[in-house]
Amino acid sequence: MELTSIALNFRIQVTARSLIKLVYFSRHEDRSIDDKRKRSIKERLGVTNGNRRSYPILGGRLHFVKFETSKINECLDFINSKQLHRGGMDSRLWLSEAPPSDDVIIKATGGGAHKFADLFKERLGVSIDKEDEMDCLVAGANFYLSLMLSVHLGSLEVEEDAIRHEAFTHMEGHKEFVQIDHNDLFPYLLVNIGSGVSMIKVDGDGKFQRVSGTNVGGGTYWGLGRLLTKCKSFDDLLELSQRGDNRTIDMLVGDIYGGMDYSKIGLSASTIASSFGKTISENKELEDYRPEDISLSLLRMISYNIGQISYLNALRFGLKRIFFGGFFIRGHAYTMDTISFAVQFWSNGDAQAMFLRHEGFLGALGAFMSYEKHGLDDLMVHQLVERFPMGAPYIGGRIHGPPLGDLNEKAIFHASKFTLFINKLGSGFGFLTDQPKTISGAVF
Amino acid sequence: MACLKEDPILRSNDIKEDSEETEPKDKVREEGGVREMVLPAGNSIHRSGSRPQLDLSGAAIQGNNFEERHPTILLPNQSDDISHLALDIGGSLIKLVYFSRHEDRSIDDKRKRSIKERLGVTNGNRRSYPILGGRLHFVKFETSKINECLDFINSKQLHRGGMDSRLWLSEAPPSDDVIIKATGGGAHKFADLFKERLGVSIDKEDEMDCLVAGANFLLKAIRHEAFTHMEGHKEFVQIDHNDLFPYLLVNIGSGVSMIKVDGDGKFQRVSGTNVGGGTYWGLGRLLTKCKSFDDLLELSQRGDNRTIDMLVGDIYGGMDYSKIGLSASTIASSFGKTISENKELEDYRPEDISLSLLRMISYNIGQISYLNALRFGLKRIFFGGFFIRGHAYTMDTISFAVQFWSNGDAQAMFLRHEGFLGALGAFMSYEKHGLDDLMVHQLVERFPMGAPYIGGRIHGPPLGDLNEKISWMEKFVQKGTEITAPVPMAPSGTTGLGGFEVPSSKGDTLRSDASALNIGVLHLVPTLEVFPLLADPKMYEPNTIDLADPSELEYWFTVLSEHLPDLVDKAVASEGGTDDAKRRGDAFARAFSAHLARLMEEPAAYGKLGLANLLELREECLREFHFVDAYRSIKQRENEASLAVLPDLLMEIDSMNEETRLLTLIEGVLAANIFDWGSRACVDLYHKGTIIEIYRMSRKKMQRPWRVDDFDIFEERMLGSEDKKPRPHKRALLFVDNSGADVILGMLPLARELLRRGTEVVLVANSLPALNDVTAMELPDIVAEAAKHCDILRRAAEAGGLLVDAMVNIQDGSKDSLSSVPLMVVENGCGSPCIDLRQVSSELAAAAKEADLIILEGMGRALHTNFNARFKCDALKLAMVKNQRLAEKLIKGNIYDCVCRYEPAP
Repeated sequence: MELTSIALNFRIQVTARSLIKLVYFSRHEDRSIDDKRKRSIKERLGVTNGNRRSYPILGGRLHFVKFETSKINECLDFINSKQLHRGGMDSRLWLSEAPPSDDVIIKATGGGAHKFADLFKERLGVSIDKEDEMDCLVAGANFYLSLMLSVHLGSLEVEEDAIRHEAFTHMEGHKEFVQIDHNDLFPYLLVNIGSGVSMIKVDGDGKFQRVSGTNVGGGTYWGLGRLLTKCKSFDDLLELSQRGDNRTIDMLVGDIYGGMDYSKIGLSASTIASSFGKTISENKELEDYRPEDISLSLLRMISYNIGQISYLNALRFGLKRIFFGGFFIRGHAYTMDTISFAVQFWSNGDAQAMFLRHEGFLGALGAFMSYEKHGLDDLMVHQLVERFPMGAPYIGGRIHGPPLGDLNEKAIFHASKFTLFINKLGSGFGFLTDQPKTISGAVF
Repeated sequence: MACLKEDPILRSNDIKEDSEETEPKDKVREEGGVREMVLPAGNSIHRSGSRPQLDLSGAAIQGNNFEERHPTILLPNQSDDISHLALDIGGSLIKLVYFSRHEDRSIDDKRKRSIKERLGVTNGNRRSYPILGGRLHFVKFETSKINECLDFINSKQLHRGGMDSRLWLSEAPPSDDVIIKATGGGAHKFADLFKERLGVSIDKEDEMDCLVAGANFLLKAIRHEAFTHMEGHKEFVQIDHNDLFPYLLVNIGSGVSMIKVDGDGKFQRVSGTNVGGGTYWGLGRLLTKCKSFDDLLELSQRGDNRTIDMLVGDIYGGMDYSKIGLSASTIASSFGKTISENKELEDYRPEDISLSLLRMISYNIGQISYLNALRFGLKRIFFGGFFIRGHAYTMDTISFAVQFWSNGDAQAMFLRHEGFLGALGAFMSYEKHGLDDLMVHQLVERFPMGAPYIGGRIHGPPLGDLNEKISWMEKFVQKGTEITAPVPMAPSGTTGLGGFEVPSSKGDTLRSDASALNIGVLHLVPTLEVFPLLADPKMYEPNTIDLADPSELEYWFTVLSEHLPDLVDKAVASEGGTDDAKRRGDAFARAFSAHLARLMEEPAAYGKLGLANLLELREECLREFHFVDAYRSIKQRENEASLAVLPDLLMEIDSMNEETRLLTLIEGVLAANIFDWGSRACVDLYHKGTIIEIYRMSRKKMQRPWRVDDFDIFEERMLGSEDKKPRPHKRALLFVDNSGADVILGMLPLARELLRRGTEVVLVANSLPALNDVTAMELPDIVAEAAKHCDILRRAAEAGGLLVDAMVNIQDGSKDSLSSVPLMVVENGCGSPCIDLRQVSSELAAAAKEADLIILEGMGRALHTNFNARFKCDALKLAMVKNQRLAEKLIKGNIYDCVCRYEPAP
């Protein structure tokens, strides 16, 4: 095992904005025994390692974890406790025998990669290697989207339902997973909604261009929301919105035309004519409005705007598919509905908004992939199985503290949203182990 | 005006006719003869705007019984509907456009009628009903103060056609169903209130239709309506009508509509956004506790968004993200910094919040607009709507967004009348509103005295008469901030920018939202036409000096300011030096100074500003305070003095041979042009000698070559070489300048020479007084006096119909072999020392049709304007430069240098 592959194991995307997303790889023991029988079978059937490379793909797991940027220390503790920057606990064994690496390099992307470089050096003794954000985003998205389609190419070796489709549409509360023909994937528009919004036209692997963006993004929602509602967290703010009614805040077409549609130009009475257009009332102050309503109105304003600008850019380049990712979405149904509605509305149904299950982790995964020889490039989907550990049903897409290590602690809380297993080629059963209470999906 | 109680018979004299048919009433005027034409002119201007101009042709009183108390007067050819008012009732502002008719300022005297007959001038209307001359006023009110708006309408009786028409309305049966056109969301909401308070019905017009109609009208009818705004710099854009469509119209109200306009009435709402002015104001109110939209906007001017927004530099440690073209100061995330845990709303400055919000929304609108323009391949995007309010930062942000996203391919443009598109469109939805066919040259925009104080602000009801106006001006100066009275109206409703809620919050300094543009009153003058001899009317720009250059602006402001006390003295003296005149004089000085200060503050405030506009503004300001002709007595005195020496001069000239004579005459024109009360340097000269002394001294100094000297070419054209005698010009237009020596000792002898050579001469003079410039009203007298001593002039003047008394003789001896080519006088259609040849009187336009020589004389008409103008016929520009700076700039010469520029027909 070369040293280089150890450095691969830890990937982090730091964002100065709100969240630190961390993708790390943990190898797992190959449980199959490379016994005589197996080797002979391989030889007999002409099974090679299947690698066109000189080094083997490691079997292991990709983990996805988030921290709030403001709680970066928790993140550092987490990394430290798992020794991720040293290749993870799994490699302690041989690390202890290797000379301590003086210059461990961690790939990172996001604006905070600069900002926190010193902190990482000081606390963990590692150097941050800044990867281009856009490169990472696209690499991440391409990776996920390709995965999805591969699954349907089908490998008998993998359980058909083991991997969820990566992309889905979300209209009126209804989620529908979408099957995308690999040959028809490019070009697409990738809209990454972080604090701000980047719109990237992706033409292929490593072939992309940032064509637009907007400064009205997740940071705006959270920033304005904080000022207006005193919510303590982004998630609280989102949750508030679910109980909101924007009619007290927004001026609707019906408010202007006395409850009537302005049908001549295709505007229904419930269309928002002016976001926050009703809060100009002279005898009401901020305190007189419900924070729930404010949050919802804000959410609609921003989601709708992003959807509209995205569609206009897709139109400009003749792109039919728009994938929305980034932490702003957080799998929030209303957000996705609003964005979808905007795209649907302005395109007259010509264009479709799609979302990515790994929406928050595009950049981090892309950073991970920027390691040379990360071994993910050539992965086929049948080599990947997704498992949901016990914590999943409780945390959903939430941010959380450091994950727990042993079985007892796991009973209380769990770290990762999900874990992507990467199989070493040929070891078709390795992924089944090492997860005491692995579940597929949601029931626990 | 107490019109209602006046004797109807007296009124009928004042009712003007548009038709050219003679009517018996004119007999009354003729009795006064020529002489009377001069003075009554002033009186008539006094009353301007106060009398209805009705088309009485075909009028009849219905009913056989003349005893009937209230006979119905039918005016079959009266084009206007009863209501001349249209509204756009928005969520926060009510915009009102109304029309007031006014009398044609010039008098339809004998000279005019004869010139019209001679030149075949018609009214130039292609329609069956006449266009009404009048004024279009623009007023705003806050929707929450709708009662002020109703009071305003009521006080001016706008819903009944305005005060001007009370006269005949009072005799008509009270109309049961007056209908007012309105648009905007509030048109529904307030319909009952209008019915109840004013007894009128609101006819709701489609909002989008109105917007587009308003924008199309403005873009076609108003020169330089549109402007770009980049980095604080405004640049007015002249748009070729033929190249106007298609364009994207972005109306930013509470929400935003984006409309693709393909032509008149041809448009489609292609997009929009719910993040608009309402969002700015709504969120702004929640976040800053501001009490008004304007307060919120004002706050933003002192803001710094870096404490609120997350910039690219914040993310990338102060570095640009140049790979994708983002500079460190680009906003990555609006409000992205307010997520900090230990800061609450109270910890942020409201100024910063307002700015950040403004940038977020403006930028967003700019971006979405551009994307839509791109989608339809539209190069031009016009932004309008109340959100903009002429606010520089807003415009810059939108422009920046469009520029940024389009890489400079698309341009954001703004409209001076941005808030009034809907109201104007509603106005145009009246049938026969008379605006459809208006051409750009028939509109003149004027800025009444209140303008500098109010900018584009909202205001309460304006005041009515001159007296109130003067006292307002006095109080304003005395008390500054304490005044709460509304800003006065110009006489008899000439202004729509009447007043404001609270006068400037900063005492006698001007408004703080300096960048906001003023909207003047649009004067509709149907008789104006484009001068037909312009070589390229589209490229024509009258101003030689563009005051967009700040140093130029500053210089001319200094010149005008220094000249002001002298002008006030003259003006007061012209009105007999009474206490009333003194009060008016002071008020004028303050009003004009305020205009100057306003323009120094924001040179684009009144639209594209050239020197000609500035000089005209001064004249209009004088007229606004009822100074009809400040130089009246001076002009008379100088005319008399000059006429006294004219016979000697003519004798001297007649003794010369042809070549010497022509040179002497041109020298004479240049020398006499020294007499100019508009020039400070020359005013000083006046104290040093008599007119003829100065004239002779001046002529003696005429050393050729002049600074610009095309005399030889001109002489060649006039006299030819040795044996080849050229054909004389058929008709020459002589644009004259000052009264006194300038016209009498300079231009008249030249005219006489042309007449002698068989060229018809048309003297072109101002319609209204400006400084000591001679007017078309005064010229016939002058010519008549000169003709007493000169047969050539007499016969030509008789032939031209200038000598009314003598005409009888001419008609008697019409077969007289001595009949001459005619000498005529036409008015130029303006009341300024300069001339914009895009807007000249119809009689000048008619006279020009057969002209093959133009002579422009004097600084105002040949240098300040038209120096670079090109004509279809031969043109001679003659002037003495009486201003050192202009001499240096224009001809690289010195004060008193001469220009004799001759440009043969192309």
